[in-house]
Amino acid sequence: MTFYLSGFRSFPKLWKSNLYFELGPATSSASFFLTVHCVIGNQQRWFSVKPTAPPNSKTLNLLVTKARTHKKGNDNNMKVSSGPHYFAAGAAKKRSHISGHPQNQGHALPVRSTVQLPTKPLNSEEWEKLKEDFKGKASFEDFVISQMAGNSSSIDVAKSLLAWVAAKNNGIVGYNLLVKYLYLCVFHKQTSEVIDVYEIMKAKYKTLESGGYTLLIRGLIHSDRWREALLLLEDIKKNMVPSKKNYGDCIQGALLHQDVNMAWSLYQELLGCNLIPPLETLKAFFDYGKDINDDHYSNQLLDILLYLRNNQLYPGESFAHSIKTWFESIPGRQWKGQFTTIQKSGQCSGCGRTIESIHLSPEEYEFLKEKIMRDVIDGGDQYKKTTPQELKRFESFVNTCPPFDIVIDGLNVAKMFPKGRESQNLLAIVSQLAQQNLQLLVLGRKHMLRPSFQWRKDEMEQVRKQAHCFFADNISEDDPFLLYATLNSGNHCKFITKDLLRDHKACLPDARTKRLFFKWQQGHQLAIMKGFQKSKLTFQHILSYDTVVQTTGDSWHIPYDEDLVQRASCEVPTKWLCLQRKTQAPAPC
Amino acid sequence: MNVTIRFLRPFARCLVPYTFHRKRSNLYSGVLQRCMSSKIPSLSCHNKDSTSPPEQLELDGWKATMKSSIQEDGVSEVSDKDEDSLTATRELIEMWRLLGKEVPEHITEEELKTLMECASKSAKKKYLRYLYGKEKMKKAKQIKKEMKAEAREEAKRARLLETTTGEQQDFMFLRLWDRQANIALGWKGIQAMQFGQPLVFDMAYDNYMKPSELQNTVSQLLESEGWNRRNVDPFHIYFCNLKIDSAYHRELVKRYREKWDKLLLTATEKSPVDLFPKDSIIYLTADSPNVMTTFKHDKVYIIGSFVDKATQTGMSLAKAKRLNLATECLPLDKYLQWEVGNKNLTLDQMIRILLCLKNTGNWEEALKFVPRRKHTGYLEVSEHSQEAFRKLKKTKTLSSFQKGSLNARKWKR
Repeated sequence: MTFYLSGFRSFPKLWKSNLYFELGPATSSASFFLTVHCVIGNQQRWFSVKPTAPPNSKTLNLLVTKARTHKKGNDNNMKVSSGPHYFAAGAAKKRSHISGHPQNQGHALPVRSTVQLPTKPLNSEEWEKLKEDFKGKASFEDFVISQMAGNSSSIDVAKSLLAWVAAKNNGIVGYNLLVKYLYLCVFHKQTSEVIDVYEIMKAKYKTLESGGYTLLIRGLIHSDRWREALLLLEDIKKNMVPSKKNYGDCIQGALLHQDVNMAWSLYQELLGCNLIPPLETLKAFFDYGKDINDDHYSNQLLDILLYLRNNQLYPGESFAHSIKTWFESIPGRQWKGQFTTIQKSGQCSGCGRTIESIHLSPEEYEFLKEKIMRDVIDGGDQYKKTTPQELKRFESFVNTCPPFDIVIDGLNVAKMFPKGRESQNLLAIVSQLAQQNLQLLVLGRKHMLRPSFQWRKDEMEQVRKQAHCFFADNISEDDPFLLYATLNSGNHCKFITKDLLRDHKACLPDARTKRLFFKWQQGHQLAIMKGFQKSKLTFQHILSYDTVVQTTGDSWHIPYDEDLVQRASCEVPTKWLCLQRKTQAPAPC
Repeated sequence: MNVTIRFLRPFARCLVPYTFHRKRSNLYSGVLQRCMSSKIPSLSCHNKDSTSPPEQLELDGWKATMKSSIQEDGVSEVSDKDEDSLTATRELIEMWRLLGKEVPEHITEEELKTLMECASKSAKKKYLRYLYGKEKMKKAKQIKKEMKAEAREEAKRARLLETTTGEQQDFMFLRLWDRQANIALGWKGIQAMQFGQPLVFDMAYDNYMKPSELQNTVSQLLESEGWNRRNVDPFHIYFCNLKIDSAYHRELVKRYREKWDKLLLTATEKSPVDLFPKDSIIYLTADSPNVMTTFKHDKVYIIGSFVDKATQTGMSLAKAKRLNLATECLPLDKYLQWEVGNKNLTLDQMIRILLCLKNTGNWEEALKFVPRRKHTGYLEVSEHSQEAFRKLKKTKTLSSFQKGSLNARKWKR
């Protein structure tokens, strides 16, 4: 009986930052009642009365700081140079820990319930008595069944509640109670009970709403009457596009009952609605594929893998296992799969093959360059990020200079080490890079030229001697110029900034361009390691290979997400599934 | 008989739709019949013996009664497809309502059509929640109105009992205060039209707003105009870039009705740069790097009439840049300890702040109109230590920031 709560203004600050709402399988209406209930409760009393109440804030603070220092220590022990690359799964979380913002320390808040939920069926008197004890805004029956749904009580208890309600109301049970009861039945996989409720609903209501349909579909696919789930899917379509879960359930039902054609046609329909299929559904196709030996079917499975590739989706750990098992089950081809990692050089540790390069193809490169110019810098209104005069000045500047090797985001780099003077930081980095005979471009704003405490004139002079410089207006954005200058210089050119450039990525029009941008960014962004200043300049290493599902005909390399690692959307998985064929049989595709 | 009442209620609204097609009426009477038939006295409701131990509880009895309410079909075939989807949506809403979701009880044909035009599921839900809120508000207002009317009746009766003798009383004025006040405000407005300081609302943002945002903007404009009218020394308001027959214009005319042509302000299709010398214009925008220090009585301030819920940052700054105008923002950070929320203020808050500045020049007085939820209090900054304070703030924010150690900051309340 633990819920994670958030969004309550009234809670002490302490809780605010790191709580998240997770109701698990409970329905949305269950959460509604939960909030109502907590709002009623007197907070002060709530904290003192509850025996399992959290410790007072002082000790809790202590705990938090303890955890933080502990984490910090761990990170410090780790060698930085061997650390994960900038976009590796879990890297952002680690960074946030280092910078002292512990996230995801979920505190379980016990929810006070005025009613002790029964564990065995009660009779009418007992329910009546329980109702008398109940104080709250919501109706008693609703509240109790919501709690039951949240705690996944046994369905006998719920049934006794419904029987009591029906007895009170001359045999009528409200729709909301029925739906939550259905939820419990589905949760406990009581198929016969689901069918009973289905009959009742069919008799009583002409149409249902999406929540009821979803539950019915999920319940019915396991029974012999699974085809009726498809009819329910049609009913949903009358009003809205079914969710991907609805399709996923129906597909799983079809696979469960060996109707492969139906499953594939539903899958096509799902893709046609521009929905992203749930990974469990795709996994189900692979799991089912083990038992059948059919070229058509296996081609379709390979299509799924290509879909993953094109949409930059990564399977989960168990899905990866399913893929491996399926490949190994193909008779006569002798696929061999292993879980591995990729070396820095871009070679698979398992088979030694080189993974696809991170670099964009020339067409993709031109496409991205044009999109960046049009959507990020111009964006329909040149005055938003810069001015036309400045844009012209920048373009002519870029065209007169030789192609650069490295483009530096001056302000970002200068502010990286708060202890040093900003111009000093910039100069240190520029001179270190200049020693390597690189063509440098430093982008900045005009205020950097005005001598001040942070910006010394002589140091800026030295920077200008060692690198090409472009200073934008103080109210212009410098990042778009950074992107364009890098793209314009060619594929070898890299840029230095710690910025993840997410806001600029968001300016791009469609998902495909965003993926291209991300790929390019992974291959061309240099991020400076912390703690440099005195020592030599070190960068986070750049990935030389692209993390995407890929094939060479007789081998597949599939990156996957580990179950225990949380990956941010701007990161890529580090673990791979390497599949290769032993014998040289004709390629399957 | 209470069974029927309870069960009829959800369907009661079917009896009062705005347009009543014959087909649907048929359908609903069918539904109604079905409901009526469901009150067949149940067998299972009395089999719950109070003395029976819990193990022998009859748990499945209710199902029989529920199932026994057999659907009476035959009337529900609807030929028209459009009609069909409309009723389907209606039924969906009804089911959602039974589930306790936030959907309206009554919905009109137009609202249904708007609902079906919503692109996504979440848009539909959002629109339904909006309608639900609207309906709830309307109902509450209605109840309040009735209660007030009742109280008035009561008071009237009481007064009738008390005042039996019609005494002659001497008054200096007739009770025509509202009208007098309006006339006085009108005179002041005319004076402002002749000699008042211009204040421009730039209406060139209608392309960037959704209909709902546009409506909010117009509401805010109405309120701003009201605040200005009631002030001792009103601005001369300009609505610039207001295209005739644009969505803006239509909405304004719809709200003001016949008053629109009698408003004491200047509405023009021209841009402010055509009306005023460029160097006297100051564009007010929260994105501006320049902070407003004093209110200047010889400048023309421009406020962009733009409600931006899609967070398209830098729109008005881009506009000012294009026209090469000076920009300023309110010194909110200098005077207030900002807590939450956007630095963008509503139009009526802006005009109240400007009016207050114009009349008193006191920033603290003027920034009273910033919503209290957005800041925790005023910063007390004495004039001579301002520079020192700024330096202190800079160094303090760089090093580890501790609230208690910051002596320069004091809370006023």
